[in-house]
Amino acid sequence: MAKVPVQFTLNGSEKAEFVESGATLLDVLRDKIGDTSPKAGCRQGTCGSCSVIVDGELRLSCLTLAETCEGASIVTTAGLAEGGVLHPLQRAFMDAFATQCGFCTPGMIMAAKALLDRNPDPSRDEVVEAIAGNICRCTGYEPIIEAVLSAARSNSISAA
Amino acid sequence: MTAASGFSVLRPATLAEAVAAAAMPGAVPIGGATALQLDWAAGAARPGLLVDLTRCAALSGSGVEPDGGLRIGAAARLAALEHDPHAAAGAPLLLAALRSVAAPPIRTRATLGGNIAGRTGCLIPALLALDAALVLASAAGERTVPLAAWLAAPPAAGEIVVAVLLPKPSPRRVETARKIGRRAAFTPSVIGVAASLDIGPDGRIGAARLAVGGGPNRPRRLAESEALLVGCDVGAADWHALRGALLEEIDAADDGWRSRSYRRRVAAHAIVAGLGGAFPPHPGPLPAGGERGQGRALPVKGVRAEDRAIPLPLAGEGRVRALPEEVEVSHRSLGDRWRIRPDVQAKVEGGFRYLTEHRAPDMLIGRILRAGRPHARIRAIDVGAAEALPGVRAVVTAADVKGENAFGIVVQDQPALAADRVRFAGEPVAALAAVDAATAERALSLIRVDYEDLPVVTDPEAALAEDAPRVHEGGNLLTDLHFVRGDLAGAWEGCAHIVEATYLTPRQMHGFMETEGGFARPELDGGLSVFAGGQYALRDRMQLARILGLPEEKIRVVTSPTGGAFGGKDELTVQPALALLALKSGRPVRLQLDRAESVLSGWKRHPMTIRMRTGCDAAGRLVAQQVDVVADAGAYASLGPGVLETALEHACGPYGIPHVETRGRLVYTNNGLCGAFRGFGANQMTYAIECQIGRLAERAGLDPFEMRRRALRRPGTPGYLGQTVGPSERLDEMLAAAEASALWAAPRGLSGDGAMITGIGFAMNYQGTGLGSIPPDPGGGRLALAPDGKIEAAFGFDEMGQGALAMIQAVVAGALGCDRDDVRPIVGDTALTPESGSTTAARATFVAWKTARTAGPALAADLVAAAALRLGRDPADLAVAPGGIRDRRANDAAPLIGFAELAASLDPLPQASAAFEFPKTDYTRGNARFLFISGATLARVAIDRVTGMVRVTDIEQHAAAGPIVDPAGYLGQIEGGAVQGLGFTLTEDMRTSGGVFLEKNLDQYLMPSIADAPERMTTFALEDLDPGDPFGPRGVGELGIGAVTPAIAAAIADATGLWPATTPIAPEAVLDALEGAG
Repeated sequence: MAKVPVQFTLNGSEKAEFVESGATLLDVLRDKIGDTSPKAGCRQGTCGSCSVIVDGELRLSCLTLAETCEGASIVTTAGLAEGGVLHPLQRAFMDAFATQCGFCTPGMIMAAKALLDRNPDPSRDEVVEAIAGNICRCTGYEPIIEAVLSAARSNSISAA
Repeated sequence: MTAASGFSVLRPATLAEAVAAAAMPGAVPIGGATALQLDWAAGAARPGLLVDLTRCAALSGSGVEPDGGLRIGAAARLAALEHDPHAAAGAPLLLAALRSVAAPPIRTRATLGGNIAGRTGCLIPALLALDAALVLASAAGERTVPLAAWLAAPPAAGEIVVAVLLPKPSPRRVETARKIGRRAAFTPSVIGVAASLDIGPDGRIGAARLAVGGGPNRPRRLAESEALLVGCDVGAADWHALRGALLEEIDAADDGWRSRSYRRRVAAHAIVAGLGGAFPPHPGPLPAGGERGQGRALPVKGVRAEDRAIPLPLAGEGRVRALPEEVEVSHRSLGDRWRIRPDVQAKVEGGFRYLTEHRAPDMLIGRILRAGRPHARIRAIDVGAAEALPGVRAVVTAADVKGENAFGIVVQDQPALAADRVRFAGEPVAALAAVDAATAERALSLIRVDYEDLPVVTDPEAALAEDAPRVHEGGNLLTDLHFVRGDLAGAWEGCAHIVEATYLTPRQMHGFMETEGGFARPELDGGLSVFAGGQYALRDRMQLARILGLPEEKIRVVTSPTGGAFGGKDELTVQPALALLALKSGRPVRLQLDRAESVLSGWKRHPMTIRMRTGCDAAGRLVAQQVDVVADAGAYASLGPGVLETALEHACGPYGIPHVETRGRLVYTNNGLCGAFRGFGANQMTYAIECQIGRLAERAGLDPFEMRRRALRRPGTPGYLGQTVGPSERLDEMLAAAEASALWAAPRGLSGDGAMITGIGFAMNYQGTGLGSIPPDPGGGRLALAPDGKIEAAFGFDEMGQGALAMIQAVVAGALGCDRDDVRPIVGDTALTPESGSTTAARATFVAWKTARTAGPALAADLVAAAALRLGRDPADLAVAPGGIRDRRANDAAPLIGFAELAASLDPLPQASAAFEFPKTDYTRGNARFLFISGATLARVAIDRVTGMVRVTDIEQHAAAGPIVDPAGYLGQIEGGAVQGLGFTLTEDMRTSGGVFLEKNLDQYLMPSIADAPERMTTFALEDLDPGDPFGPRGVGELGIGAVTPAIAAAIADATGLWPATTPIAPEAVLDALEGAG
C-alpha cells in the first residue's frame, strides 16, 4: 500500500512519519507514535473519545486522515500538562470526580479545552453544547459540566 | 482496524482540476469526509479515490453578490459559517439550522457542500426556505440551478457543488427552522423543517417558503401549504388551517425508529409553532397557565431553532434537605469528606493504561470470525486458506478446545467457539492470530464456513409453543419460576380497585466506552496469563480452566482496570478466544472488539414483558397482586436465571401484599445475548410495580404518598418470599423525604410560552444487595504492610471506573487509623488478590468494609506491637496514625516511626486476612436477599408539545444505604445510574428483526448525550443504621438506576395523564396523549 510522508507537530514536538494513504490520525497517533490518549470508542465519529485539537480546532481523529495533517499543530490530552503541572481542566476533572472509568476523559478534556480557548467564561449551556459530541457512560455528565465551569473560573482567577 | 485505508486522496487546487478528478472512474468527491465511515458501515462501496474539494479555491469564501444576495463556497466548514459575518447578516435561518447539525467536532470539518450533496443533510430544509440556488460544475461547464429543482432531478454524475447562492432576504420576514431528532443533541434527524415568510409593508405574506427534509425524508418545498399563506395578513393567519394543510401535504419516511405519521405530525407542528407560536390542540383543560389562542399571530420573530426544553428554574432554593437527618451528597456540602481517587491523575493525563493498550514487540493481533446469521447448523469449517496465509500464526476452532467447549456462570450451555451450530449472529465460530491487523482481517475473510440456516426464534412468547423451533435441544424454556402466597382468586373480590397493565422493557446495551478486549500470553511454566477487563477474575479463571483443560493454578487472570462494565463484563467475553490463540501460537496475542463487533456480540439487558394485576381495597390498602413475566434470554443462559429470580423477588417492590402470585419464564431465542446489567432485573420490576401503585392511587383518590404509606412493608417483617430481612430499613424515611422534597413542590403545568408541559413524578426504590441465599457469595480480602511502607489492601473484585480503589482506601484507612494515601489497593488479579467474590450486586463496598473491620484490628495490633518493640514502648501507648505509629497520648499526631521504616525492620511483614460469606438470609426454597437498601426518586419532565419528546429537567434521589464511604464515588454511582436509567427510559433499545440487531453502532443506538442529562441532579443520603446493625455501609452501584424509570413515567402521567407502559417511551405515544388520541 502506498505510504505518504507527513510531518506535523504533536504537543510541541516535531513528528515525521510515513503513513499509509487513508490511515486515520487516530491510528497514527496511537499505533505509530504511541500517544494513546485519544481513544477508539466507535471509529465513526459518534462518541468523541478520539477528540484532539488540530490547528486550534476540535477534531475527531478517527475521521481525520493523517496525511491531511501535513504541517499541522496537533494537541492531545497527553500534551496538556506543562512541566509536570496539570492543566486547570485536568485538575478540575480530578477534583470533581468527572472521571470514572476514564475512557472518555481525554476526549472530554479536548472538547472542553477547545471551548475555553475561544470562550474563557462559558455558560452552562455553552459547555453542554461544546461537549455534545462526547459520550460518557459513567458519570451522568454533571461532574463534567462542573469541572469545565470550575476550570474556567480558576483560569479567570489566575489570569486576573 | 484500518477502516479508512486502501484508497488514495487527490486534493485539486483549481476548479478545472477538481472537475477532472471527480470525473475519474471510482472517484468520490468529499468535503469534510465526516460521514464516510457511516456510509461504509451502512454498506456503501469503498472508493478507490477520494477527491478532497476543500483545498479548491473556487469553492471557498463567502461574500455579498452585486444583487445583494449571498454566495457561500461549498467548501465552507459549518463551524466557520457559524461565525461568518455575511451569513449572520444575510441568513440567520441557516445559522440557526447549522447548530443542530451533528456535534461541534463534526462541524469543524463538515462542509456546506457536503451537507447538500448527499441530499439527506440537515441544512437542506433551511436552504429551501431561503430559496437557495446551487452553482454546479462538471466537464460540461458551470450552471446555476435552484436547489429545489436540483433535488427534484436525478443526480448528475461527475458534477460538483461549487457554491450556494442565497437571494437577498426580504427586510421583514418570519422564519423558523427546527430539526427533530431522537435525543437532545448529536442525533440523527427524524425530520427537519424550515419556513420563511416574506412580509410586506401591509403586514401581508408576500411569499412563503416551507420545506421539510433531513435524514430519510425526501427534501422538498410544500407548495400547497405555501399557497394557503400567501396574501394572508400575518397577524390573522389561520394556523389551524395551515396545520391541516401541512398534515395533508408532508410526506415522510418510516425507518423503524419513528413512524411516517409521527414525522408528518411533528413537522407540521414544528412549522406552525415556529411561525405562529401555535401548538397542537389539547383536549382537556391544560394543567396550568393558558394556551395561546389558536391562530393568534405573534410579532415577527427571530429564529426558533433550539430543539431543547425551555429552562425551567425551580421556584426557590432547590437544594433543600427534605429530612434533617439527610446529607446532601455533593462536593460543596461534603467538602471535608471529598477525596480525590488514586487512579484519576493518570486518567486525566491521558497516560492511564487499559488492559487493551498493552503492547509487546512479539505480540500478535487476534480477530474473531462471527456467525453473521442468527441460527444455523455448521456443516463444515475450512480454515486451510487462512492458515496458509503468510503472517498467520494460529487459527482456532472448536476442534482446538481441549477441555469442555461450554461455559456460563449459571448453566454451561455456551460454546467457547461454535462447534456444530450457531445460535446468534455474533457467535464466535473461529479466531485467529496474525502478525498485523491487515493480515488478520484478510485471513478472516479466507475462512469458509458451510452453514445450513435454521428457523430463527425471535419472539419469546411464540418460542414457548410446543412446536416452536428449538434454540437448544432441551427446549426453549430455560427457567420457570412460580411463587404463591395467600388466596389470590378469593382476594380479587375484596378489591375496590384493580389495575392491570403490561409493561415492556428494552434490550439495553451496557455501552461501556472501552469495548471488550485485552491480551493473553503463554508463560514459561506451560501456563497462561489472560488480561481482559472483567468483574470476577477467579470465576473467569475457573471457566477458562474448564474450557482449556488446564488446572486453575496454571492460569493467571487479570481483570482490572477496565473502562466500564455495568454487568456487561461479568460473563466471559473475549477471554476464551484470547487464551486459545495464545496457547496455540505460543505468542502473546491481543484482541479488542471494535464497537460494531461489541454491539453485535456483547451481553445486553433482558427485555421483559411484565403483566401485572394489582388490587387494593376501598381504603387504598393493597390486597392482591399477580405478576407474569416473560423474559427474552437470548441464545445462552449466562446469569439470566438469576436476573429473572431477582426481578420476581422485587415483584411487590417494598410493599406488603397479602395475596400474591408471581410467575416468570425465561425463554431462549436467537436474539443475541442477554446477561447481567446494573439493576439485575430489579429495575425493570420496580418500573412496573411503581406505575401500578401510582395508577391505583389515582383510582383510589389518594395522593401517591398516602397510597404508599398504607402499603409499605413494616421493618422487621419477613421479606417478599417470607425470608428474614436485615436491619436498618428506611422506607418510611425515604417516603417522607420524597414528600417533603422541594422538587415535589416545584411548578408544573404549562410553560410561559406554551411550548412545554411539565410534570413531576416520584417512585420508591428498593433493591436487594448481594447474590442471595443460594449461590456461593464469598467475601474477603487481605491487608499487609508492604516493603515500601504502604498498607497493601488486596481484593479480588475490580476497578471498573466506579471508584473501588478510593472506596478501599477509605475503609482501610478508617479501620486502621492511617491516611488514605498510606493504603495501596490491589484488585482483580488471581496472582495477587484473594477471593472477594464478584464485582456485582453492589457488594464490593460491604466486602471491603467488613474485611477492613475484621482484618484491620489484627494488622493494627501487629504494627503497633512491632513498633513498640522497636521503640521500646508499651504497645498500649501506641496507635496507628497517618504515616506510621504515633504516641496515642501525644497532642502531636506526627508518627514516632513511619510505616516504611517499620517495614524495613520487619521480616516477615505483618499481614491479616478475612474470609466470610456475604450476609445471607435463612430462606433456601428460592434465592432470597437479606440486605435491602432503599430510596426515593423524583423526576421533573418537560414535554415538548410539538414533538412529544420528554426532557428530564430534574432528578432528585434519596438513598438510604448506610454510611457513605466515599462521597464522590457514592454520588458518581447515583448520578451515573440515573442517566443510564434515563437512557433505558427514553432512548435506548437494541431492536431486532429476524434475530439481527437493527442498531449496529453508536450512531443508531443512542445513549444519553450531555444535552439529555438533567439540568439539575440532586442526591441526598440518609446514613444512619439501626443500633447494633453489624452490616455497615451498603453499596449503591445499583440504586441510582433503580427507580428512575417509574419516576419519569409518573412525571409524564402527571403532565399528560398517560402512564407509559412501554420503554423506551415513544414520543409518538406521548404526543397522542397530549392530543387526546391515546
